[in-house]
Order: sequence, then C-alpha cells, then structure tokens
Amino acid sequence: MFYFSLKICLTVCFALTVLLCGLSAPAQPVAPTFTRNIAPLVFEYCAACHHPGGSGPFSLMTYQDVRKRARQIAVVTQSRYMPPWPPEPGYGDFVGARHLSDEQLRMIQQWVDAGMPEGDAKDLPAAPQFNEGWQLGKPDLIVKMNEQFIVPASGTDVFRNFVLPIPVEQTRYVKAVEILPGNKQVVHHANILIDRTGNARRQDAADPGPGFGGMEVSIEAESFEPDSHFLFWKPGTVPWVEPDGMAWRCDPGTDLVLNMHLQPTGKPERIQAEIGLYFTDKPQTIFPMLVQLERDGALDIPPGKKDFVVTDEFTLPVDVDVLGVYPHAHYLGKDLQGYATLPDGTRKWLIRITRWDLNWQAVYKYREPVFLPKGTVITMRYSYDNSADNPRNPNHPPKRVKAGNRSSEEMSHLWLQVLPRTREDSRAVLQEALMRQRLKKYPADFTAHFNLAAVLQLAGKTDEAVIHYQQALQANPQSYAALTSLGVIFQEQGRRDEAIRLYRQALRLKPDYVNARYNLSNLLLAAGKVDEAISELRELLRVKPDDAGAYNSLGSALAMQGRLAEAVTSYERSLQLDARNADAHGNLAFVLAQQGRISEAVKQYEEVIRLDATNADAHNELGVLLGQQGRIAEAARHFEQALRINPNHAQARENLKRARGR
Amino acid sequence: MTKLRISIIRLIALICLIGALAAAGPPQDSLRLADLSGRQVAPFAVTDPEVLVFIFVRSDCPISNRYAPEVKRLAQKFADKAKFRLIYPGADETSEAIRQHLSDYEYSLEALRDEQHALVKMTGAQVTPEAAVFVRGKKEWRLVYRGRIDDRYLAFGKMRPAPTVRDLEQTLESVSKGKTLKLRTTTAIGCFISP
Repeated sequence: MFYFSLKICLTVCFALTVLLCGLSAPAQPVAPTFTRNIAPLVFEYCAACHHPGGSGPFSLMTYQDVRKRARQIAVVTQSRYMPPWPPEPGYGDFVGARHLSDEQLRMIQQWVDAGMPEGDAKDLPAAPQFNEGWQLGKPDLIVKMNEQFIVPASGTDVFRNFVLPIPVEQTRYVKAVEILPGNKQVVHHANILIDRTGNARRQDAADPGPGFGGMEVSIEAESFEPDSHFLFWKPGTVPWVEPDGMAWRCDPGTDLVLNMHLQPTGKPERIQAEIGLYFTDKPQTIFPMLVQLERDGALDIPPGKKDFVVTDEFTLPVDVDVLGVYPHAHYLGKDLQGYATLPDGTRKWLIRITRWDLNWQAVYKYREPVFLPKGTVITMRYSYDNSADNPRNPNHPPKRVKAGNRSSEEMSHLWLQVLPRTREDSRAVLQEALMRQRLKKYPADFTAHFNLAAVLQLAGKTDEAVIHYQQALQANPQSYAALTSLGVIFQEQGRRDEAIRLYRQALRLKPDYVNARYNLSNLLLAAGKVDEAISELRELLRVKPDDAGAYNSLGSALAMQGRLAEAVTSYERSLQLDARNADAHGNLAFVLAQQGRISEAVKQYEEVIRLDATNADAHNELGVLLGQQGRIAEAARHFEQALRINPNHAQARENLKRARGR
Repeated sequence: MTKLRISIIRLIALICLIGALAAAGPPQDSLRLADLSGRQVAPFAVTDPEVLVFIFVRSDCPISNRYAPEVKRLAQKFADKAKFRLIYPGADETSEAIRQHLSDYEYSLEALRDEQHALVKMTGAQVTPEAAVFVRGKKEWRLVYRGRIDDRYLAFGKMRPAPTVRDLEQTLESVSKGKTLKLRTTTAIGCFISP
C-alpha cells in the first residue's frame, strides 16, 4: 500500500515539475531517444551487471533489450531500486557512485512516455566491453572452495562462511583479491576475512555440511594486528587494488574466510567460489586501521517499535584520514547515519542510508580521503523498525529482538578504515581509545579488557596490562589467549614458574594452542630443559607443520645438543616459511660459523642486517667473521657500526681495538 | 425530438455492446495458444477439472523464477481439482529457451505460449509471475481470481522473509470446498509483460 501511495505522490510531483518547466520554457524540448540519451545512461549505470554473462538476470546492452523492459526500467529507477546505490547523495563522496539524478529519472520517464524512440544510429555511443573471467587479469594464485555448496530452491536468504586455506610457502603481500562466485545469480555479496589463527577452520569443523552459518564471523587475533583492510565483493564492480605500500601480509597458514550472502533463485543452485589473489613485491608500509563503532549491547528492541535508536560515539585521539566506511545492520535497520563533529563544532557526514536494505550492503570507499583532526567526535546513529509495517521484519508477528549474528537478530556496526597521520604508534593509541570507550559501554566486557591489556602490554605499560588481563580472565576464566598473554608478561618479568604454570593451564584448555606451546618451549629451552623443549616443539609442529618460529626454536634446541647439521636444516625450513625472520638468519649464521662454513655465515649475517640495520650484535659477529677471512677494513666498519648503534657494546669495542691493532 | 432520443439510446446500447465485447475479450472457446511444438491448443477445451489455473511466467524474470517451488507445491496440492499451466507471454522467448527453463526449474507442468497476449488481455495479467484462476461455469469458465501468488513481494527489492497471505492457495481452497467466489483481483509484483 505504502509503495503505491508513494508512486502516486511521485507522479503528482512530477507532473507539477513538468508544468513549471513548461511555464518557464514554452518551447517543447525534443523527446529523448535511445541512442542519444538512454544508451549512455544504461551503459554507465546498468551494463556492468546487465550484460550477457553478467550478474544481472538479463542483458540491457541493445535497444531491443531496453525497449522491451522500458516500463520496468522506469518503475525501478523511479523507486530507486535500480541502479542499487543506497547512500544518500551529499552524505559522502564515494568511488563508483551510481546515483541517478532526478533529471536523469525524468528523462527515462519522458522516453518511455514518448513511445521509446530509437533515434539516430549515429548518436549511439560505443558499448562497454566486459571480459568474463577475472577482471584484473590472471591472478597470481587461485584458491577454490574444496566442495560445492547447494543453495536450496526456496526459503529465506542463506548466510554462509567458507574457509579457504592459502597455499603460500612464504610470506606474500596481497594487493588485490577477486572473487569468482561460480554462480553470479546467487551470490549477492561477499566479505572476505583474513584468519591467521585457524580459528574459522574450527568453526567450520563444528558445523555440518560445507562451510558454517552466520551473518558475521568473529575471528580472534592472537596479537595486536588490527585487520586493516576491507575485503568486500559485490557484483558489477571492478575489484579494489590497494595502493603501493598498503598490500596486506599473507603468511603461510593464513586462511581466507569467505562470508557470503546467498539468495535462493527457485531452483537448487550449486556454488563453488574461487578467490584470485594478486601479489606485489612491495611490502606493507602504510598501516590503516579499522575503527568500529557499535552499540549491540543496547539492542533490545520491543516488538512494534517503529523507531528504535542506538548511538555510539568515539573521540579520535589522533589525526586520521578516513578511507572507507562499512555500515552494517540486519533486516530491522532503517536509517543508518555516520557523521563526524569536528573540534570547531561543524558536522561532516561520513555516510547516511535512509532506506537501509541489507541486500545491498557494501563497503564504500571515499573518492578523496576524509581528514578528521584529533578531537573529532565520530557518531553512529542507527534507527530500527521492529513493527509489522517493516516488510523485511523476520518475525511475524514482531518479537523482541536483541543483538546476534543470526538474521532474526540485529546488529549495529559502523566500521571506518582510517589511516592515522603522523606518529608510528598511533594505531595502538587508537586501539587503546577504542577499548576504553568500549569499557565505558560494557565495564565487565572480556574483549575490551583483553584488547586494552594487549595494547598496554605492547606499549610497555605492564602493570596496567596485568590488571586488565586479570579482569578479562574474571569475565572469561577459560580464555587460553588471556592466560597465555599474561604468561608472556610474567615470562618477560622473569617470573618463569608462574609463566610456565599459565602456559600449561592454557594448554589444558586448548591442547592445540600453538602460541602457548611455543612460549612454553622457549621457556624450557631458556631453563636448559632441552629435551622437554624439543618434545614440546615437535608436538607444536605436529599441530601446525608450517610454523616458522617453531622451526627456528627447534634449530636452537638441536644446536644446544650439538646436532648442528639438524639445526641447520631446521633453520632453513624456518626461513623457507618466512624469509623475513632476522632471528632465524642470525641463528643460522651462528651455527654455520660453528661448522666453519664462513662465507655462508657471512651471507646470513648480511641478510640479518638487511632486515634489521640496527642489530648491533649482527654487525659485531659479521665483523668477527670478516676478520677471520682477513677482510680487516670491512670488519672494522661493522664494529664501528655496532658501536654507533650501541656505544656500550663491549665486545665490539674490544674487537675494533684488535682490528685497528693489526 | 422523439426520433433523436431513440437514436441516442441506440448509440448508448452500441457502446455498451462494444464495451462488453472488449471486457470479455475473445470468446474462451475460440482462444488458441501454441504449445512448445507450435501446435494450437484450446486451453479452455478441457473436460476433466473444475478449475483452471494459469501462471504467467518468463524464463529470465528472477521474481517469477523464485516462485517456481511455490507454484509446483500448489500444483501438486490441488492436482485433483485444478489444472495448472504455465503461460509464457514473451514473444522474444524461444521455445527452446522455454524447454530449458522447464527443465532447469524441474517443472512438470504444461507450458503454453501467448505471444499475441490473448490470454493476457482476457485475464488482465500485468506481470510475471501472476496467476489467473478460472472455475467451470454453466456456459463458460468464470475468472474468480487474478493477481499475485502471495504477498511476499511488496515492491521490487522489497520482500518479506515469508508470505503472510497466500492468495492463490486460499482461492483454490475456497474453490475446492465448493464455495462460489466473486472475481477478486490483487496487484502482483514482478516483471511487466511488455506490449
């Protein structure tokens, strides 16, 4: 009913406009034609999906195609269902905006009213070209879902997550990701999450059938390494390519989690998506961060409530450039707003979607980064309609709705991808501010305490970190991650037994938790319990055969037992998995030197210095080896360098004296 | 004066007659639709069932495709009472494409083509999918329902997770119980049947 009254209103307004136009410009304008006026619009706004083989259900590439659907096109453009572009114009300037102006809508209607004239063939612009497979060319690596998933013929939409391991032998940097959904009609959009922990694999194993259910996936990270990228795909868009320096790191053992929104089509549909990865040699040097505003804790929406509002605010502790935005709610979401209040009080809109529709959710990248100075308050203000008037309401009749990741539950998330200006550690500063804000909302929240502790630990504020880890453990005594992180602090403080106790406790809760086992083995190694350490490391490598760090430690353990050849093999395996580990290069160099393989050892030390120019020990040790080879002048330069880095380096000073004495 | 008045009355009668003809469309008995082999079929010349159900569809209309399982369910449920047929009004669709469509969606219903839109005009169908239900009368088949299958779609892109009113099913249930129905119409949401 609502729809039709709206349509009538539109028509009336439209008639009025035409009337006004007629008054001011009495000369009758020439009727629009397909070739001159409509084809350029269709090619620009529709063809990306509506071409043969595209994701749209039919093609709109020719006059015949468009003419026979003209009435349809007029209706769906008037209602702004097509082209799908939910953000309100004027509330953020985004890449790939597909908003038709009122003027363009009028022209389409005029063309239909005039009987859809074709016009002069001379006017027809060249049709855009689309290649079917990979839009960015052949990927460097293609991973495919290991089995098909069948979307049932009918029913509600399906939200499914699939884990795709990336078989890389060494760390690579990924500048772009593309998805071939395998069935364009079904896959409405997809998110990709990076899982460096194997966490999603376990969720997958616990859920029968291919993949696992849920609209959102939560993946815990074991270290503070904020996922800084939106990896989002929707049909009809060219995949995003990260600028130089912003490619993301892909280590051996990394999984991609494909989070897909699938729509039944009326017949069972098989999907088996492929992900194409495009690598770059340029490692990540620019680290954006995803900042999340949310108010899930306040989502408790009474049935029948038409305008339930939640808000969240975050004050920026540093200057940032906002690169992109991703608003997210489920089926009750109505008016989603994100805006910034600058220190001078002016409001800068980040995004507004007044007719939220989950089906068309997307990540939006700003055409130009939006600068927000320190002290800016970012506000999320979402409203929800839990009445029967909301046709998308999953409950009929409406029921009380709280937060959750099922489609019958709700969410209130506003993600911003920001690039902090200036300081090196501003991501940590941002994270600390975010978690303190979260603690204000949820004082006993595990995530807030845990993440705050992690960032404090990183900043060396150990005492405060211990307090928050302990509070995190109060909230969740089963958290093996919190036990392990607290163990790390104790280990660093020399409280070895306490640390060992915590690691063992974590491993009782989760025997395959490699971080705890890794730390435990290193502690055992440091305590001289080499046999025990080796058996722990072997167990770790059984669970995670591609753990570069474990191979490095195992090398050291073997070296301590005098098994030098085995140690070399172990270090080399570690470096195969992660060539950028300076420690492993240094350890290998040390053992090679012991074996008398001096020139190989020299190469390894040079590699250490290339990776970490401030390593005074490496300079000193390299100097010693060069001295043995008679390259005295070079040796002296390295001793000098070691002393420049650390003027108190006694060995380097002694060595330099000797070198000069020769 | 008298003469003139008579002529006016005649004129009015004539208009009414034309109107009545236009509303009724071509008489049911003479209506012919092509099957997929091009043979002419008289869709109303059936002896057995008491109810005829026509579902207007297109092979490339996502909304009508999404209704395939529901159409099949209803055809199955009312198999004893009603004869369901799929009507393809698109002159641009080939019989081959329609055969493929029937096989893709596992339809075992009879498919007819209405390229001239004779049945479209007779029923007043506007979009795909849209249903028309005829009940056998004394002289001819009586249209008792024309419109949406259910209320799942409210507009393009605006749909409920599940229907709250199943119009076609309710109509068929009433008819099955022997109730006499007056013509009821609803607005269906779907792909416009192009002229």
